[in-house]
Amino acid sequence: MPLRRSVRLAPVVVLLVLAISLPVPAQTPKYGGVLQIHPLVAPPSLSPHEESTIATVQPASACYSNLVYFDPAKKVESPDTVIPELAERWSWQDTYRNLVFLLRKDVKWHDGKPFTSQDVKYTFDAVRGAPDAAAKLRINPRKLWYDNIEHIEAPDPYTVVFRLKRPQPSLLLLLASGYAPIYPAHVPLAELKTRCVGTGPYKLKDYRPGEFTEFARNPDYFVKGRPYLDGVKWVIIKDRSTQIAALQAGQLDVGGSGWNRANAEAAKKGKPELVVVESDSNVNDNVLVNFQKPPLTDPRVRRAVNLALDRKAYLVGPRLGAATFGGAMQPKPTGIWGLPPAEVTKLPGMGDPARQKAEARKLLAEAGFGPSNPMKLTVSTRALAIYVDTASWMVDQLRQVGIEAVLEQIETGVWHPKMTRLDFQVALNLTGTAVDDPDAMLFENYRCGSQRNFSGYCSEEIDRLMVEQSQVLDRAKRVALVNEIDRKLQAEGARPILGWGKQYAVYWPRVKAFPQHENSIFNTSRFQDVWLDK
Amino acid sequence: MRGYVAKRLLIALVTLVGMSMVIFVLMRLAPGNIVDIIFESAGYVDQADKKQLEHELGVDRPIPVQYARWMGELVSGDLGKSYRYDMRAWVIIKPRLPVTIELAVLALFFSILLGVPAGVVSAARQNKPIDYVLRVLSLAGLSMPSFWLAMIVILLFVRAVGWIPSITYVSPFVDLKANLWQFMVPALAVGYRSSALIMRITRSAMLEVMREDYIRTAQAKGQRPTSVVWRHALKNAGLPVITLIGIEFAFLIGGLVVTETVFNLPGVARYLVEAIQFRDYPVVQNLTMFIAVVVVLANLTVDLLYAWVDPRIKYGNA
Amino acid sequence: MARVVETVPVAAAPQALPFERARRSASLRFLRTQPLGTAGALLVAALVATALLADVLATHDPVRTSTHVLAAPGGDFWLGTDNLGRDLYSRVIHGSRISLVVGIASTLLGAVLGGLIGLVAGYAGGKTDLLSQRLMDIMQALPILVLALVLAASLGPSLTNAIIAISIPIIPRAARLIRASVLAIRELAYVEAARALGVRHARVALRHILPNTMGPFIVLITAQLGGSILIEATLSFLGFGVPEPYPSWGRMLSIAAAEYAEKAPWLVIWPGLAISLAVFGTNLLGDALRDTLDPRLRGR
Repeated sequence: MPLRRSVRLAPVVVLLVLAISLPVPAQTPKYGGVLQIHPLVAPPSLSPHEESTIATVQPASACYSNLVYFDPAKKVESPDTVIPELAERWSWQDTYRNLVFLLRKDVKWHDGKPFTSQDVKYTFDAVRGAPDAAAKLRINPRKLWYDNIEHIEAPDPYTVVFRLKRPQPSLLLLLASGYAPIYPAHVPLAELKTRCVGTGPYKLKDYRPGEFTEFARNPDYFVKGRPYLDGVKWVIIKDRSTQIAALQAGQLDVGGSGWNRANAEAAKKGKPELVVVESDSNVNDNVLVNFQKPPLTDPRVRRAVNLALDRKAYLVGPRLGAATFGGAMQPKPTGIWGLPPAEVTKLPGMGDPARQKAEARKLLAEAGFGPSNPMKLTVSTRALAIYVDTASWMVDQLRQVGIEAVLEQIETGVWHPKMTRLDFQVALNLTGTAVDDPDAMLFENYRCGSQRNFSGYCSEEIDRLMVEQSQVLDRAKRVALVNEIDRKLQAEGARPILGWGKQYAVYWPRVKAFPQHENSIFNTSRFQDVWLDK
Repeated sequence: MRGYVAKRLLIALVTLVGMSMVIFVLMRLAPGNIVDIIFESAGYVDQADKKQLEHELGVDRPIPVQYARWMGELVSGDLGKSYRYDMRAWVIIKPRLPVTIELAVLALFFSILLGVPAGVVSAARQNKPIDYVLRVLSLAGLSMPSFWLAMIVILLFVRAVGWIPSITYVSPFVDLKANLWQFMVPALAVGYRSSALIMRITRSAMLEVMREDYIRTAQAKGQRPTSVVWRHALKNAGLPVITLIGIEFAFLIGGLVVTETVFNLPGVARYLVEAIQFRDYPVVQNLTMFIAVVVVLANLTVDLLYAWVDPRIKYGNA
Repeated sequence: MARVVETVPVAAAPQALPFERARRSASLRFLRTQPLGTAGALLVAALVATALLADVLATHDPVRTSTHVLAAPGGDFWLGTDNLGRDLYSRVIHGSRISLVVGIASTLLGAVLGGLIGLVAGYAGGKTDLLSQRLMDIMQALPILVLALVLAASLGPSLTNAIIAISIPIIPRAARLIRASVLAIRELAYVEAARALGVRHARVALRHILPNTMGPFIVLITAQLGGSILIEATLSFLGFGVPEPYPSWGRMLSIAAAEYAEKAPWLVIWPGLAISLAVFGTNLLGDALRDTLDPRLRGR
């Protein structure tokens, strides 16, 4: 008996379904080529643990490895996108009080020595400032990240245990950031500023300060078959227009670090085949207000300054339309900890500019300033184009409420120490935190005594709430608590946020698998999976 | 002749020593203690490091001792340490030297190539239209800010020829064509401005010489203007021009600072600006002294060249 | 090093006509014989007028930002706007103030100081002269820009410091010039006569020598003014000049100009043109004045 029609068609249908549902085979990555890319700014050194700027993390990431890292291919970082690197497996014990890492056994440092758990203990004892640490960092911006670590044990060469004082589920995320590479215990810390001895996919080939940093493939990388590239070269180009021209001419493979929307559009206009990826970033423009320096000791003055800055005008002017608004945490939807949008529209500076400026004038008058006694204010900022423009805009906004504002440009090398010493009145600042997590963002920027708490802001209550949220295991409860902290910070004007800028990656189509994350710019520069289709 | 050379050498030495004192004083004009400045700009935090720094910089000794120590280091070729990068300054400067030297040499070449003929023509056709045109062109070159000229040049060249400023330095020994392609445009930009000075001096030197009696005699004797101009005048106007090139050198180096910045050339002059921006004061001090030495040496060379060429000095007792 | 055959004007005419008497006829003659110089004088006058009348001539507040970002020239914004929505025309107009103030102040400061040194050195002669000559040599050996940079960085960015920094390199040039004048005049008979009569040194210097160096002095000032304006622009461009919010031509070219040059070329063109024209004018005027006052060229 002939098969019924449906049965005869069945194999065809099955095949069709299979064909549609099977993933299209990705292109096979090719080996070879040196990736030419420019950093945001020239790195002051090659040691991430001793720097506070992405300028060092960008090149150094190629050379180091972490215990764990964020998956480059997943755009939104979260606990679900943490992948193993030097640690093969890990496990929380005692309700997030102890974190055990089981390390890989086949890893060698770039100079041939074997990697063991001692290196991990050495690194994090140094970074957390343990009393018995074998090494001491000359400058330690993220010490508070590791404040909760009681003790680090290395019971055998391939096991590390982090014993914490209280539960802290976010510790794993902190360890996955570009700021937490593992240092070699057998190399003096001072040498790592100009030399890189790591376990990463690339070895340092040539470091010319102010010119370029070049890396070459590490043939003994512990991930077999990686990296695809022969090397990575971070070329320093100070002038934005030269960066754009170099990309268009093909001398750079990837551009976009520090670019704004106009730059990305200009690049694409000249060469339409360029790929432009715009995404959110965990970087915000904010105003540092020195709580300890008159006249800013007066809360009315501080609020006036906050009100005077029209956020909508900020979006059009300095940001050229590419930014989002929020509080202390990255706004939704890419930032899960952000304040509800309805609340964001009510923050100071978000309302009607005329009314807010009038209110600002009233507050200043109450504080004793007016046309006959104008307040003089110096706005400090870093001497980089992205800072200076926004700061110039800020100066104008302040002048519109009667404050005699003047701009002061400070070189990068002098900036952080000056801010740390609270040697300023107000400053226009960009804050990029490596991980979109309250444990990183709040502790670094708002905790009493943190090196990066540039405002001299200190609130015992906020500190208490910060520690409390760090231990909450239920996500929804934790978000609610974080929002409460955020609300308080905004009400007190601890660090007025202007907006959260977008970031850009602009590259030639031949660059494949170039990572770009929506909630951090610090954790994507390892380039272990990037390849060039040439 | 020998007396002249000795006198010039002595003056050069005195000038160098004097300049070192001026630079030494200038660097200490900065408000605040130099230790504090370095401390901050290098990112130190621990006060114990400060003591170490004081000892390294030698500020705990009296000023004359500090000066002597610095002089001793310089003479032995030690250019000190870059506190910003935590490296020996020489390690950073060394790869940058060939870039600056090449740019300076090419710029000088262009400035002479453009300036001398222009000056000669301008003098030969004094007050004729071509003279005015050349004078205006050269004055325009001196009036334009070098960085603006550089910017305009880049804009034009990028649009017209697809040329872009170099992103990394290629040595002429590695790839001569690529190297020249990188350097031609910036060298022309610097050379144009320097040529303006050379043109003016050549012109006035030529005018001076052409008023001399022997030139007028030659003209009266019926020799054609062209050969008069080129043979007699140029030879004698050559001397002041050579002298000028020495003085020019200082002007050229100033131009290099801006040009290296705008054209993204990793040279010594640009590093000076960076060091100043980073408050890396020991490097600034040493690098400025380095530049001063180069300038004085260049002038000395020119002086000696002049002595060798000018018969009045060679044979007489000037 | 001072062997350059440069046409340095020396007020050596023994009759020494007082500069003032021949002024009126000289002006007319100047216009006729020095067309370029007259053009220069007009440019300089325009610069001064712009600086004085900046508030009147500007159409907007030069510091006021707006939402009309990178607008093309036309309409409300005659020369367009920059990336913060500030009116370029008003900024260029106000920029003339900084350039002129810094230029004139630093040139005068340097010229006066240098002139005094040259006067004393030329008149006193001997060891004083030798010492000051070496000192001037030293100051002149460093490239102007490097010297100004180091000073500006050392002293910090501010209006006063910029003026001081730019004035320093002018001192040796002024000293050399005045010294040469003084040397020539010192030997004149009537000066010796004055001394013989017992007139004090200071009086001789001030009443007899100084007035006759006015000619070269004025030439020096106009010649150096252009250079000072250029150095101020370069310092601002490199980030060491007068800080915001005062608009400065040099700084306008540093931050936004190159970055947005493709989209908004007017940001690069106009400030640079302003600097060039200002300096061009002073140079033309300076050249013409020098030509006029140099007696050796007078007989042409």
